Amino acid sequence: MSIKTYAVAIRDTIAQEMRHDDKVFIMGEDIEVLGGIFGCTRDLAKEFGTERVRNTPITEATFVGAGVGAATAGMRPIVELMYMDFTYVAMDQILNQAAKIRYMFGGKAKVPLVIRGQQGIGRGNAGQHSQSVESLFMHIPGIKVACPSTPAEAAGLLRTAIRDDNPVLFLEHKALYSTKGEVPDDPEFAIPFGKAAIKKEGKDVTIVANLLYVSKALEAADILEKEGISAEVIDPLTLVPLDIDTIVKSVQKTGRLITVHEAHREGGWGAEIAAQVMERAFRYLDSPPIRLGAKQCTLPFNLGLENAVVPQVDQIVQAAKQSLYR
Amino acid sequence: MAEKVIMPKQGLQMTEGTITRWFVKEGGNCVSGQPLFEMETDKLVITIDANVTGKLLKILALEGSTVPITETIAIIGQEGEDTSALLAQEKPSQANTPAMMPVSASAQAAGLTPMPVAAPAGPVYATPRAKLRAEEKNLNVEQIPGSGPDGLIIERDVLAFIPQKATPLAKAIAQQEGVNVSDAVGSGAHGKVTRADVNALIAARKDTLNTRHGTLVPYEGKRKMIGDKMQESLRTHAQLSHQIKVDMSRAVELRESFKAADRKVSYNDFILMATARALMDFPAMNAELTDKGILQKDYVHLGMAVDVPSGLIVPVIRDADLMRLGEISACAAELADKAKNGKLLPTEYTGSSFTVTNLGMFGLECFVPILNTPESGILGVGKIEKQAVVINDEIVIRPMMCLTLTYDHRVTDGAPAAQFLARVKQYLENPFLLL
Repeated sequence: MSIKTYAVAIRDTIAQEMRHDDKVFIMGEDIEVLGGIFGCTRDLAKEFGTERVRNTPITEATFVGAGVGAATAGMRPIVELMYMDFTYVAMDQILNQAAKIRYMFGGKAKVPLVIRGQQGIGRGNAGQHSQSVESLFMHIPGIKVACPSTPAEAAGLLRTAIRDDNPVLFLEHKALYSTKGEVPDDPEFAIPFGKAAIKKEGKDVTIVANLLYVSKALEAADILEKEGISAEVIDPLTLVPLDIDTIVKSVQKTGRLITVHEAHREGGWGAEIAAQVMERAFRYLDSPPIRLGAKQCTLPFNLGLENAVVPQVDQIVQAAKQSLYR
Repeated sequence: MAEKVIMPKQGLQMTEGTITRWFVKEGGNCVSGQPLFEMETDKLVITIDANVTGKLLKILALEGSTVPITETIAIIGQEGEDTSALLAQEKPSQANTPAMMPVSASAQAAGLTPMPVAAPAGPVYATPRAKLRAEEKNLNVEQIPGSGPDGLIIERDVLAFIPQKATPLAKAIAQQEGVNVSDAVGSGAHGKVTRADVNALIAARKDTLNTRHGTLVPYEGKRKMIGDKMQESLRTHAQLSHQIKVDMSRAVELRESFKAADRKVSYNDFILMATARALMDFPAMNAELTDKGILQKDYVHLGMAVDVPSGLIVPVIRDADLMRLGEISACAAELADKAKNGKLLPTEYTGSSFTVTNLGMFGLECFVPILNTPESGILGVGKIEKQAVVINDEIVIRPMMCLTLTYDHRVTDGAPAAQFLARVKQYLENPFLLL
């Protein structure tokens, strides 16, 4: 075990995988010398050279497309987007090409592509650089969606993503990069997709959160604990594939569900989970599931306003109480 | 034509009753005169028979519900009959309403302020989880007061609900005995705690206590009713007693003759008959001191004390003076049977004008009864026993019986009372006079 930041855990995993498999390479903006703006590729060019650690122009549609092509041709590319907001620039490549090729070629072509990068609030990056995109990609079949909330999960899930033969959208959070945690040194350490993590066990209410909101949900759970409410906090880790079983089981125990994410509330992944829980555990519900998410407006540049748009710990606490009619 | 079954009034004090058992299921057949349901009041447990024959179309008061008197508890009619018109007349039943259920102590302890719950006029709403929990706990979710928005019944309400699962009698006994009714294991419908359960709890508690301190028996319900009446008797009447010995030889012979003719007549029947006749001869003994004077009754409603598990009860042979021996015999047998099965109607144990009480079966030679107020006379009957008696200066063996008359000296005097007693003796020693 080593104590690493989230960013270093990602960097080290990429390095380990590049050592492990020659076909793994990475490309993106400002990754060669700068090592990416958050340091996730720092010094990789020194070890692996600029053939395998490639700078790209500011042309997301093009280099994501290049990644899709390389993957289809047999490589295992990692494409770094400086901001996940820029997936929108490359949407055709991601959703029409990467997500569909394996199906449309009758399984004869596969796309072992990882598109990774950071998203979210925390730096006042404004409307085009602060979005949370995971819900969008949950909707279109053919692409896996992973969202690590700790350094260890970042390492374990990224390894699984790189070794997966299907396209994976690997969503990091900019506010998590500097968070530290224990990460196994084992170069084979991997966390399987489709297995949610129970971050805290509880019996009164289930809170499902991802990325930055896992820590906020845990903070809320601590406050609730002091008021005699025992919250269970679950991080799905991957939205595609989704481990709904663990969530359903939890709700069967607690009878109440709160979903909380930074992505917009309307049409957010929390709504999907709430719907599936109602389909599968309606009898166990003691109150309607409550969804918390960013308000339906563009994320503001001003940090104070940014906070006003996204759910706060206090709102999670209130939602949990509301679900308990308290 | 469908008919309503109502909660019957059993006794003056009764305001409500608890259905403890339906003998006929909804949709089942009721037969007039056959047991329909069992109910419990604060005084007694009683089986009520159907008064019509037909299909039990609808049970409105489920087992365990407490219903005010005269309220409709079921509907009996013909198969397929439309009961909606009859049902529509019914105001929402008072039974089972959450309003009757006190807020559970634990809910109060938790600082919850449940919304006031009115008797539900429409459907009762509960969360799926509340229903699930209620199902697990075998509770009727509709009985549970809801603390959620608009009285919604939520899981917490079900978990905190300490079911009012005890009959009124069980609760009363538990309170008297200082045991917690919720500690008892309910054996009644829906786990309802019955008197027997509370008694079992009390018995279990006693095992753990030093029993040499005595046993506390609740003084309430029927026990208190009897006690109050006896106290009233001793306080109001000027009572004293006469005793006389009766030679029952001929009564024995007559009874044997009846027996030989396949007719069953008991000694008690002879005594009842003899008493009824003697009362007509001595109206002063068949009297009641009222505000307006001494009411000498021109009828004999003869009470006969019967011991049943719940205590003393005195069924009444009405118009005994007009009956022949066979009728008295049949009537007495029927009443005794009803008393033992808790099926006496109020009119069958009230309004007696004179009482006969027989403890001969317990081997008592004689005993002094006290008046069954407001009557003015009561005859205590001892056992028939062969004794050596002197007749015509010879010692002979005769079946002898001792009668003790207690009378009210305010109403009559010693001499007429003695004459009355002698008349009873005369009838019994010459029983053919009764035929």
